[in-house]
Amino acid sequence: MTALSNVEIPPQATPWRLATRLAPAAAALAAAGLLPGVVDNYWMQIAALACIYWVLIAGLNLIVGYAGQLAIGFVGLLAIGAYTAAILCEKLGVPALAALVVAGCSGAFFGFLIGLPSLRLKNFYFAMTTLGFATIVTQIALGWGSLTGGGIGLPGPVFPPPFDTPLGFYYLALAMAVLATYVLRNIAISNFGRGLVAVRDADVAAEAMGVPVVRLKLVTFTFSGGLAGLAGALYAARQTYITPDAFTFDLSVMFFIAVLIGGRGRIVGPMVATAVLTLLPEIAAPLVAWSSFAYGLLLLLVVLLLPGGMAEYIDRIFKKRTVAARITSPKVAAIAGVIARPDAGPASPVRVKGVALAFGGVRALDGVDLRVEPGTIHGLIGPNGSGKTTLLNVISGYYAPNDGTIRLGEEDMAGLPVQSRSRLGIARTFQTPRVLGNLSVLDNAMLGAYSHFESSFPLTALGLPRTRREDHAIRERALQALTAVGLAHCAQSRADQLQHTEQRFLEIARCLVMQPQILLLDEPAAGLAADEIDNLASLITKLSTLGVGVLLIEHHTDLVFQISHHVTVLNLGKVLASGTPAEVRSNKEVIHAYLGT
Amino acid sequence: MPTSVPEANRPLLAVSQLATGYGPLRVIESLDMSIESGEIVALVGPNGAGKSTLVKAISSLIAKSSGTVTFDGGDVTGLSPRECGKRGLVHVLEGHRVFAPLTVEENLLLAAFDVPAAQRMERVEEAYSFFPDIARKRHDKAGALSGGQQQMLAVGQGIVRRPKLLILDEPSAGLAPVLIDRVLEVVKSLRAKGAAILLIEQAVEKALSVADRVYVMVHGKLVLDTDARSASAHGVLEAAYLGSTTTHQATSS
Amino acid sequence: MILSILIAGVAVGSIYAMIGICYNVMYSTSKVLSFTSGQLGMLGAVFGAWLIGDLQWPIWIGFPAAMLVGVVFSMITEFIAVRPVLKNLDQHLYVLSTLALALMVQTAAAIWWGTEPRPFPTLVGLSPAGLAEKYWLPVLVCVLTMVSVDLFYRKTLWGRAFTAISEDADAALALGIPERRMRVISYVLAGFVGALAGFAGGQLLFAFFAIGALLTFYGFIPIAIGGIGSNRGALVGGLTVGILQQIANYVVGGVFVGVVTFALFIIVLVLMPQGLFGSTVARRV
Repeated sequence: MTALSNVEIPPQATPWRLATRLAPAAAALAAAGLLPGVVDNYWMQIAALACIYWVLIAGLNLIVGYAGQLAIGFVGLLAIGAYTAAILCEKLGVPALAALVVAGCSGAFFGFLIGLPSLRLKNFYFAMTTLGFATIVTQIALGWGSLTGGGIGLPGPVFPPPFDTPLGFYYLALAMAVLATYVLRNIAISNFGRGLVAVRDADVAAEAMGVPVVRLKLVTFTFSGGLAGLAGALYAARQTYITPDAFTFDLSVMFFIAVLIGGRGRIVGPMVATAVLTLLPEIAAPLVAWSSFAYGLLLLLVVLLLPGGMAEYIDRIFKKRTVAARITSPKVAAIAGVIARPDAGPASPVRVKGVALAFGGVRALDGVDLRVEPGTIHGLIGPNGSGKTTLLNVISGYYAPNDGTIRLGEEDMAGLPVQSRSRLGIARTFQTPRVLGNLSVLDNAMLGAYSHFESSFPLTALGLPRTRREDHAIRERALQALTAVGLAHCAQSRADQLQHTEQRFLEIARCLVMQPQILLLDEPAAGLAADEIDNLASLITKLSTLGVGVLLIEHHTDLVFQISHHVTVLNLGKVLASGTPAEVRSNKEVIHAYLGT
Repeated sequence: MPTSVPEANRPLLAVSQLATGYGPLRVIESLDMSIESGEIVALVGPNGAGKSTLVKAISSLIAKSSGTVTFDGGDVTGLSPRECGKRGLVHVLEGHRVFAPLTVEENLLLAAFDVPAAQRMERVEEAYSFFPDIARKRHDKAGALSGGQQQMLAVGQGIVRRPKLLILDEPSAGLAPVLIDRVLEVVKSLRAKGAAILLIEQAVEKALSVADRVYVMVHGKLVLDTDARSASAHGVLEAAYLGSTTTHQATSS
Repeated sequence: MILSILIAGVAVGSIYAMIGICYNVMYSTSKVLSFTSGQLGMLGAVFGAWLIGDLQWPIWIGFPAAMLVGVVFSMITEFIAVRPVLKNLDQHLYVLSTLALALMVQTAAAIWWGTEPRPFPTLVGLSPAGLAEKYWLPVLVCVLTMVSVDLFYRKTLWGRAFTAISEDADAALALGIPERRMRVISYVLAGFVGALAGFAGGQLLFAFFAIGALLTFYGFIPIAIGGIGSNRGALVGGLTVGILQQIANYVVGGVFVGVVTFALFIIVLVLMPQGLFGSTVARRV
């Protein structure tokens, strides 16, 4: 069956499409480049300031917009970059361009430091931490007079010709802004961009897809800190003189608003917002005392009215559901092409032995033995509270058992975190589908291959051809997976426009892309109509014939008895019965357990 | 709809074409159900069937996407859970969710939140009369009670609200058999006082022993509505929970 | 010297503890930590100074009026910044909306009241055993507040309703407890406590627009130390911060007090994320 015959590779690749996509950016660039010919020095300096802010906000966009961390005190990093550059130039006579680089590095270092609390602290706590950070940076700048000049401050770095004139400096700032945009875009459309959205919108599921949440967050903070440091050095040069009170809380809020109002996870929106917000104080000069109030009001309005930003608002108006038709039947023959791994060794079974786990005083699992053999479907059923989902969570690595072992083949998985287990080839779905609503269906499916990407973060930021090739290969694989589950026709739709049942199949497609050895399914048939359950059954059956071991938790006992090779019944954390479907179905104890007699 | 129905013939609770779910997950699509005054109705079915979802929609704890709920002659479809409670439609959640840091008596007093202060203790004493074991522990913190006692306290909270219809969601979960019997005795006493009870139960045989009627719910639909003592119930139940005993190609359920 | 450090530390710490209580009360019914908590203190101090100091109103009118300002602002906070975003609590938009409101009120105060700290009038005029009023007043008021709030939670139906909502909001809803009304009432109470903190501490902290941000941060650390929801923890935490700050002031000088406090904050959060008296975090999956 020619599974791909009626599905096109998404349009990005063709040259004409590429040209039309880049046209707006090229036009903006041309306009910015020609600006000095049209306006005087004063407005050029304002434009330079907007470029400098954008360098910082591009980085902040990754943290706030993509990763969803409430880093409100980012002005502290601007201050660090500014003071690093100023101190190096003024006190140590370092050349300005070198100081620029060092400022970037110090920003990266402190960005990393801010990233550390984000691992443990959430939301309000983390926001408060970043605010505290910004405050103490200013306090240290104020108090450590011998280094920073205290309240009097320091002169900023002066760049060598041709950047020492307002025109030259403007072009320097513009160049940095273009560079920041370039790397931001490369990250945003890459594997890492998808991973960050996963961290933001579904962090529990992200780990199960193989996203190394900790590492990714820290790398992002470091990178963004670097951009902020660079911005700080440029800022110090532009102001020609810096004092601690230049780095106000207002600026932090302004940066934040630019990301929010432009739309989290977008690029053009925050860019436009940055330009506008930089211009506002100039245009509304008489009201400068009220500027903080205005920023607060603006933030409040954005949060209440447009929490997704302008871009999402526009999105929802103009982007309708691309296809009204319900899910088409899956093309199971396409599965083989998705999950085949040329270098794969023999598949391993999952062996659960004597696993026990108690929460508080409740024994959720009480000595469970179970084997999932490659190429078989193992059904797991049991009354409510019997421990089925808990067992699944123990196998995938969210909980460590108090007792017992879990092996994949010969390897004991004790201590392995969730993302490591998914890299070993254990894929899972969730009771409630955890898909990233803001991303397309195709992007969601591609997330399954997160750990297959080899390009590192810096290389991805540079946008090398190798990264594009990898991305393209994964894109094809994901498309084939969507074809297999019957969702290819809505590959470009936002995932939150899918019906619940379609989201379930999307989760399965994502698992296919992972090329798993073992597939753990948590109630995949819940909410499915009869024909959809048939589709599900044929997908699972085909997967098992291709050598994947499937553990199927279900309340649709019909489905379980129909397709499973082996069935285990759990009750109150213990194995009540285990055997072929026929044996289990007629087991008196099982009947009693279900009917509560 | 008939324009004039004699009061005596009108059901206490009438659910018509109810549809509800959680976000994009539609659990129930167009369900009808009715309960008469003074009857005990058991609602049974496999896990994931939607029983808890159904009763949460009836008592307005979750939103209904369409359909109507009529209670005691009035339309309660759009009312808040509080409003429903004031009219006598009382819902005791599953999992004996009492407030652990508060004492037994405080838990019961809270159930009488809208009752004028002077009459609150009277209501609380009513609950104690049904559950003397709990009365003995009235000043103990609810968190110190055993699971079974907490469940009795939760039912007591329902009683304090003087329900016309009391919805009990799996009151026997985790209880020893003797306590299950105790709860069922209370259910019968409530019926004797004129209340109707909708009883979601996992202990199917016990539920059938006190109920007048039984609904069987599978995958969001009511597949059976019958007299609780009818002989066919057991066979249907087994099929509902475990599927039919003959293996077959996938068909519509 | 040690004695004066202790006295000043306990006095300031009491103010911080009260802001902590303010946080707790708002949190109990809404699961929201609000950036406006410290601003309530600022309003209490500024309006107290204005009404009683500048306008020369008698205390028995000026005090309730200043408290009313705090209550009204807190009700506005609930209505504008909290209620609309409760639907998606998981997005934590309340962090931004309460921050925005806090920034707005702080700027308004800076414009109207001025950016210079202004003195707060003496209220009672007593200095028992030579202890200045600015030191004993906050401590006394803090103790009274703690006792009153404790009694409220333990003895009144409303207080028990707060506990119930905080313990299990869905069960409280199912039980028929009027959760919206209770939430508004809790914000009223929090507004009063917050404004009271600033009013009682006005002589120590001055009537200054910037103390809002200060109290928001320094009043939060007691919660981090003591655990959200524990007023006892807030007291212990508040006194710890207050005394530590005074010691730091003496040892490294005023400018670095913030650094030391922040370091304490980070250390506590890393070692004890749930605080001394708090409960452990719920299951993730």
